[in-house]
Amino acid sequence: MTHTLSAKHTDAPPATRRRLTVSPRARSIVEKLVGAGIVLWGAATAAFLAQVALPGDRATTILNVRSGQTQLRTPEELAPINAEYGLQDPVLVQYLDYLGGLLRGDLGISYQQHRPVWGIISEQVGATLALTAVTLVLAWVIMVFWVTLTAGRGPRIRAFGSGVDTVTAGLPPYWLGILLLLVFALGLGWFPVIGGTGVNGIVLPALTLAIPLAGFMGQATRTEFERSLDAPFVLTARMRGMGDVGIRLRHVLRHAVLPAVTLSGWAIGATISGAVIVESLFTRPGIGSVLITAVDSQDLPVVTGVVVLVAATYVVANLLVDLAYTLIDPRMKNS
Amino acid sequence: MRKHPTKTVPLIAAGIVAMVALSGCSAGGSIEPAANAKQLTGGTVSYGHQQEPACVFGGWIEQAYLSYQVLDNLVSLDKDHNIVPWLAETWQASDDQLSWTFTLKEGVSFTDGTPVNAEVIAYNFDYWAAGGNSTAAVWLGGYYESAEAVDDLTVKVNLAKPYPLFAENLTQSYFGVQSQQALETRTDEENCAAPIGSGAFTVGEWNRGENIILHRNDDYTSPPANAKHDGPAYVEEVDWKFISDATTRVSALRAGEADAIYDVPAIEWKGVGEQGYEQLKYVTPGRPQQISFNTAKGIFTDENLRKAFVYSLDRKSIVDTIGKGVIPYEGNGAVSQTTPGYSEKAADAYSFDLEKANELLDAAGWTERDDDGYRVKDGKTLDVQFPYSGGTIINADGASILQGVQQQAKAAGFKVNLIPIPPSAAASGKYSGVDGYDISVGYWTSVNAGIQYINWRQNLPESPNNWNSAFYNDPELEDLIVRANSAIDLDEQNALYAEAQEYIADRALSVGLYDRLSTLAVNPSLKGVWQESSQGGPVFHDAYFVG
Repeated sequence: MTHTLSAKHTDAPPATRRRLTVSPRARSIVEKLVGAGIVLWGAATAAFLAQVALPGDRATTILNVRSGQTQLRTPEELAPINAEYGLQDPVLVQYLDYLGGLLRGDLGISYQQHRPVWGIISEQVGATLALTAVTLVLAWVIMVFWVTLTAGRGPRIRAFGSGVDTVTAGLPPYWLGILLLLVFALGLGWFPVIGGTGVNGIVLPALTLAIPLAGFMGQATRTEFERSLDAPFVLTARMRGMGDVGIRLRHVLRHAVLPAVTLSGWAIGATISGAVIVESLFTRPGIGSVLITAVDSQDLPVVTGVVVLVAATYVVANLLVDLAYTLIDPRMKNS
Repeated sequence: MRKHPTKTVPLIAAGIVAMVALSGCSAGGSIEPAANAKQLTGGTVSYGHQQEPACVFGGWIEQAYLSYQVLDNLVSLDKDHNIVPWLAETWQASDDQLSWTFTLKEGVSFTDGTPVNAEVIAYNFDYWAAGGNSTAAVWLGGYYESAEAVDDLTVKVNLAKPYPLFAENLTQSYFGVQSQQALETRTDEENCAAPIGSGAFTVGEWNRGENIILHRNDDYTSPPANAKHDGPAYVEEVDWKFISDATTRVSALRAGEADAIYDVPAIEWKGVGEQGYEQLKYVTPGRPQQISFNTAKGIFTDENLRKAFVYSLDRKSIVDTIGKGVIPYEGNGAVSQTTPGYSEKAADAYSFDLEKANELLDAAGWTERDDDGYRVKDGKTLDVQFPYSGGTIINADGASILQGVQQQAKAAGFKVNLIPIPPSAAASGKYSGVDGYDISVGYWTSVNAGIQYINWRQNLPESPNNWNSAFYNDPELEDLIVRANSAIDLDEQNALYAEAQEYIADRALSVGLYDRLSTLAVNPSLKGVWQESSQGGPVFHDAYFVG
């Protein structure tokens, strides 16, 4: 009884699957890996096809971006570029070339920067991951603080608390970022205007992303939090003489945060690709700006490279979220 | 058991009030250096620029700004529009105007140690013409034939036809001279990120998305004749930051994090000046921000309809309102007011005259109007397709000006469909063909009216010219411009260029909107920053701090 895989598994009805000696854990890992592979392949393919389907001619774009023009180009002008990047090959050949490179871990060379996409990404990804991590931590701190402070209190505070959630969740990042910049960087001088990659420089950009995210997660947590406050185990805890803050943080919160954990998985991916406004406002390097610039210049290798990276991050983040579930709620281990 | 929850609300409210109150504060205090401030040596200039190009050297103005710091040209343009020595000490056209001889400064080296000699210059000419710099290639096209080293310091350039403006065009940073050894032996990637020249600075590191650190070239011996001092730069480094957001750029200047910034938005211009920052403004010569009509297809093949459109616009009032006195109005569609040989007559050819616009439209048979006031003929609305590249070619102020155009043309019954197009679609050429638009908008910097040769030369199968955005093939106009380009007498040349501008205006092929600007705001503790005269980029070689 070896770990024979796919065919049997997919064809077999659930009842017969149970008879195989593959442990549920191993099967689940393999399933997740296959799933991850499919997601990555799908993302890479979608990114490739979207680029190929863009209007206009890619060689023209490359040449125009290099010279800051928007004109049509003559075949003589385009010939060297078409030859260099194989843009006249059938799309299928280009696609297979691209997939082959991807499998070898070769993301190609940027049309505009003339250097490997790996270099571009690895240079920028650190700043983005740092921003994502700090954003997530800040969002959680704000959300936990705010929900614990205001949920399940008197009707006015409850309304105020959830009102703030709704408003902050809808704040446009650009507006919020400008406000934070003018108040805390220009006005008070607590933080640098030009964030850069310094430790001090990450606070305002992260807050700009964290405040709406905290509001968003707060909305999801608050309902569950207030329901748990009325649960019998809370009464039991109170009877044991436990203080209100202790109950809220140690018992109620644990029950209420699962939706927010799910949202965090999504937020990691969204922040990586969507931080471009904040990056431009606070002059931070990052994958978001790389992606926008690459899309603008139809720099296909860079676009697809970043998309595959973001897809990979989503996959990893969701695996982590699954893991976090079982840590927070041990009952999930067996479900 | 709830614990006095009502205390929380006032607390939160107080916090918010405090935050709002604090935001009223701003970085105050005088920015003026003390009266007895002395010149300091060394230091790092923190400069906030807007757009980040993919490579330092290339055919885009954003690259020219950067490559100017690193590469030297053969010649430079001074404030009074004279060509002055740079790497070349003297230059001379032959009697038949078909060859130019440049004599180089002695003892100049590239930062990789190789000498700047005639052979390298000849190599650079071939490199530019072959597309090593796409814009340089356009300027050389049709004129350049070959370049050869006569001796170590003398290079001869052979032309196909007389081109008196040849040396003047070489002042643009597209003609920055690079080390032949670097071009031949280094990778594309290396030459893209850190080209090797003989300039005042070298590219230290490039933190993409953040900044480029330029290091002083301590052995610099070849500043242009219009520089304010000889020898290496005073400052040790330039931290060339990319701050794409205008609010952040101005804030960085005010917070003292940037010593100088590029492109001050019109709305901030006055305030920045009042706070004591030094302001530099350069009106770019060459093709201004203009609209040209598609004369090959659609409604504007009819000259009267083009004129009707122009008469329906009060261009000056739009530009003055939105530009707040900073952005200059430009009536001339061919060249801007800072271009030598500029024709006032062409600029003044049209003024706002709605009545005339209506007459012309009525006469052309567009007599009916629909419920929205747009004109209709044979069941067809008077539609005008007007795509523009927002964010790159047309900035935010420019987009507002175009909306003004749309509003005003409506009164005459034109239905202008303004289509903001993303950079990728613009660069892909999708909107550039004869089916792409009725009106196109854009600029092209140039140091002289020779830009008309690029913009108006005929687009023929044997000699394509996709830069003719009006699709206007007219041998007569081309002949005027070609004769102007080759006219040796300056007055004769300017008269011919002016004639071409008037020719374009008379037929309403293109009309001006506003002039493109390069603006800088500089902290007064940094002195000696100037804008070079071919394209308005910042020069830091002469810059120094006082304190």
